[in-house]
Amino acid sequence: MLAIALTLIAAPRFGIAEDGGDTRVLVQFRQEIETLKGSEAAERRRVAQDEKHIQELENQLKLLETQNQKFGKTASTLEINETKLSSDTEQRFQDLQNQVAAKNSQPDFQSEMNRYLGTHQLTIAGAAAGAFIYDKQTAQNTFSLEFEPLFLYRLNDWILFEGTIQASLPPGSGASFALPVGTAQIFLNDYLEVNAGIFDEPFGDWYEDQSPLWVNRFITAPLLYGAEPLVPPTDIGVQLRGSVQWGALGQDVDYTTWIANGPSYDPAVPQPVVGQTLNPENNIAVNTNGRAFGGRFRFYPFPLDSGLGRLEVGASTYDGKWLDSNWLYSWGLSAAYLYKDLQARAEYVESYRQMPNGSAPDNRQGWYVQAGYFLQHLPSTHISDELDDTLRRLELLIRYSGVNQRAIVADEITTTPAIGFSGSPSIFSPHAREVALGIDYWIEPSIVWQTEFDLELPRRGGSLVTFNGAGTPKSNPINATANDKALLTQLSIGF
Amino acid sequence: MRMRWGFTIVFVMVMAAIRPVSAIASEEQGKEQRELFVTGAKLWPVYCAQCHNARPGSQFSPAQWDAITMHMRTQSNMPAKDMRAIKEFLKQAR
Repeated sequence: MLAIALTLIAAPRFGIAEDGGDTRVLVQFRQEIETLKGSEAAERRRVAQDEKHIQELENQLKLLETQNQKFGKTASTLEINETKLSSDTEQRFQDLQNQVAAKNSQPDFQSEMNRYLGTHQLTIAGAAAGAFIYDKQTAQNTFSLEFEPLFLYRLNDWILFEGTIQASLPPGSGASFALPVGTAQIFLNDYLEVNAGIFDEPFGDWYEDQSPLWVNRFITAPLLYGAEPLVPPTDIGVQLRGSVQWGALGQDVDYTTWIANGPSYDPAVPQPVVGQTLNPENNIAVNTNGRAFGGRFRFYPFPLDSGLGRLEVGASTYDGKWLDSNWLYSWGLSAAYLYKDLQARAEYVESYRQMPNGSAPDNRQGWYVQAGYFLQHLPSTHISDELDDTLRRLELLIRYSGVNQRAIVADEITTTPAIGFSGSPSIFSPHAREVALGIDYWIEPSIVWQTEFDLELPRRGGSLVTFNGAGTPKSNPINATANDKALLTQLSIGF
Repeated sequence: MRMRWGFTIVFVMVMAAIRPVSAIASEEQGKEQRELFVTGAKLWPVYCAQCHNARPGSQFSPAQWDAITMHMRTQSNMPAKDMRAIKEFLKQAR
């Protein structure tokens, strides 16, 4: 552009020199040149402005890029923080959840409670009963009371100590106390337990399972386990016991074997005689006695889901030297059946006691059969709800029991009523028989008001052995003791 | 705003993830107890009632049931596993 301008400037000078009439043209050229110069300057200014604007834009762009980089870094940082935060939150939630599950679950709550209560736990259960007893033959009627707390001291999952104190009120004195049970129960595994101490004789079902006050459907015991028992009620020794399921659920077998101090007889009788009563326990076995050995085996044939009910059949044996080389042999069979509202049980026991000096053996037999029917599913009478409720708490009962023994010792006959005993002298008959009718009103599953009517119907007589303060017994034949009736009512509480 | 949404999403995801995990763990822990409970519920009215009325679990505390069921295992001579089931039932059905 500059070259063109110089050319244009130079060209008119040569023209003027050559032709003075073209002055206007030169002026016009000069004006055009000036115009061009002005345009060039304007153009330069615009370019400069454009360059400046471009520079500004570049600066802004750089600034934006810088800011963008900053934002990018910030976003990345935030993303990292967010990831970390979510991870931390998840971990915290997990920890909290674990803590909640650990702290608030019921087993752990129970564990906390157990820790609070301590690992050694003393539990008191047991039973109490108050009774009114009337016997026609003796014309006696009296209230009677018995209290049997059961102390359970649980050391851990496999050791339990048990003690039962029996407090009663005999006539004419303060309370009397006994310790019928005091054992250490050691559970070695699921199939073997050691039970050592003074225990209910695990013979048949009565002593162990049916004798507690509120468990016995009747007030009295069946004759063979009552005033003239055929095997001792308790013994001191060691048991091994256990059970196993042999088939489906409900099909079990259980076993109990034991060695104990063995049988002994009423020491108040000057010399051994037939019909002598067994001691309730043999606290100290003297040299003249040998240990007793016992075994019981029970079998449960029906599966729980069979709908056939629960049947138990069992066999027991108890043998021991009671004096020198003289043994008491005994064996028994037992059965129990539960089907819906019906419960029934039966036992038969025989004992054979060798007598010294060539005397005839002291043989005895005893049995009982009982049944009960709970009216809890009785249809409505449509009279009143109260009546329906009352009737449905009732259980109707009947029991027949008997004992055969050749003789009765006159000095051992007692007619003093007590809990579980009507005081009827007819029970001390050589061939005693008893029909017991009962109605139980269940206030709670372990609280029952029981009423029992006993018919004592001795079958025939035998011998009556008397000492009358002498050392030598006299034996006289006697007829059957007279029939008798007794009425008992009792409130039993299992706690 | 973005942070708030992020927290919300994370919270929902965490809760959704934690709940099934804890439920599964709880189920595994409680499976044996539930089986024992069901078995105990079947055994309780039969085994106990064979000798006496079956007493409800509410009558004693869990600690007391620990001792009483040991005592009853001896008295009844029932299999240990059955007594464990009855004990679980009595403790839970309170």
